[in-house]
Amino acid sequence: MNTDTNTDLTTLTEGTPPPLPGFVVSSFSPLVAAAADRCLRARHGDPPAADDVGERTAIVLVSASGDATMAEHVAHAVDTAARIGPLLFFQAVPNSVAGHVAARWGLRGPVVCLCPMGEPEADGLAQAQLLIEDGDADEVLVVLVEQAGAAQSARALLVTEGDVR
Amino acid sequence: MTEPPLRTGITGLAAVSALGRGAQAQLAGVLAGAAAFGPVRRFDVGGRRTTSAATLPDAGTLADELAGVIEDACTGLRAAERAETPLLLGIHGHPDAGRSPTATTAGFAQDVAARTGLAGVAKVYTCACVSGSTAVADAAALIRAGRSGRVVVAAGYLVEPDQFALFDAGRALARDGAVRPFSTGRSGLLLGDAVSAVVLEPVGEHGAIAEVAGWGRSGDAHHVVRPDPSGQGMARAVHAALRRARTGPDEVGYVNANAGGADGDAAEAVALRAALGPTPVSSTKSVHGHGLEGSGLLELVVTVLAVQAGKLPVNAGHLGADPACELDLILDAPRQATSPYALTVNAAFGGANTALLVKAAT
Repeated sequence: MNTDTNTDLTTLTEGTPPPLPGFVVSSFSPLVAAAADRCLRARHGDPPAADDVGERTAIVLVSASGDATMAEHVAHAVDTAARIGPLLFFQAVPNSVAGHVAARWGLRGPVVCLCPMGEPEADGLAQAQLLIEDGDADEVLVVLVEQAGAAQSARALLVTEGDVR
Repeated sequence: MTEPPLRTGITGLAAVSALGRGAQAQLAGVLAGAAAFGPVRRFDVGGRRTTSAATLPDAGTLADELAGVIEDACTGLRAAERAETPLLLGIHGHPDAGRSPTATTAGFAQDVAARTGLAGVAKVYTCACVSGSTAVADAAALIRAGRSGRVVVAAGYLVEPDQFALFDAGRALARDGAVRPFSTGRSGLLLGDAVSAVVLEPVGEHGAIAEVAGWGRSGDAHHVVRPDPSGQGMARAVHAALRRARTGPDEVGYVNANAGGADGDAAEAVALRAALGPTPVSSTKSVHGHGLEGSGLLELVVTVLAVQAGKLPVNAGHLGADPACELDLILDAPRQATSPYALTVNAAFGGANTALLVKAAT
């Protein structure tokens, strides 16, 4: 089966994202939330998404770096026997901010996080296509996020089967 | 005329955990029901609230252990077959992330594939505790659609200081040195080594140990980390797995549950009751611990081995019934399997759920 996927692209590459309550130390999760919010607002208006659409919308988060700031923070705290805040517990995996986006927008499709092995957008689109073709989703929010030193960026794409809505 | 979808067989498997090395060590361990938890000696746990985990004393590096299980699972494959087989890998990330600026997750994965003679890494799943199970679902989908032939899925976690510290800080770890899924008096999870690999192929390519008959993935859309108490997300994943297998809930003879001895066990009990009705249930995390990114694949391996042997593992650590977790728990001794179908379910932060339905080869 071939699925024609289309993307509604929102880009967020500059500036500091607004704080995200419950997420501290690193900009990784706020970046994901901000990019996802802008993309989903273009599709749905205010949150949440319509119930029937939300039930069939997946989230795919793609990041080669992962939350590098968080990983460095935790490693340093462990190596120096410093206190680790309880909020960091759930921020160590990218699933958590994906769950924030899913809960805010009522997206009840699969949640998948990948480290790309090729071009990140292509890998994200391929995963979205697989989920749509396999039948667990009709729409997929793909968020591409990277942290490298001071540079940081996130982009969100909404992938649908058929026409761009 | 349209060709019927291809069925996915498991033609090789291997695992390492605190229960030992190799598939038979895993089966013997979960059937014995003797928990493998003990004091952590791999790194300093001074200052932590909890000091226990399930660790294999002679474990190597994660790369070594992943290469080892892949080699073991691929024993039946010729070098030329390996060289055309992609790897789907589930890991947290490069083990040195946070300490070495040159440590990349993609590079780590490529090294594992190169060491084992595989064609390369198709995907790296970093979706926490559903990493391995999501990879299996995707592999089965690719095979069913005829988009892949043979696929190797590997996933791994070895207990290490950073995640241990984070789970300890989050007060997620059991305080009494035991994991008590669905039990009254449960106080949290304990981490455990979990490194596994499976070879997936269209049924008929090689002799299959079992079939991945169905799979489902869903999200709760409820909370960053807490499961939806209604259990609807996990129930939808189970329904999807049954639908793909064209199987009814009454044909499922066993569930290896996700439960790790935390408050969230109650949400899973709701989901399993809603999706399946009365079905024998245990969580093998009660003996091998929670293997995080490696958990879903280790539990698939254990489930396949158990249903193939016709013996269902016990739910260890049980102190007494929790009314919020009313299930047909397998307590005290392994139970005889009455169906070739068994389900293994997993859940992760972010409300991610997976369900994998396996059918033992007859």
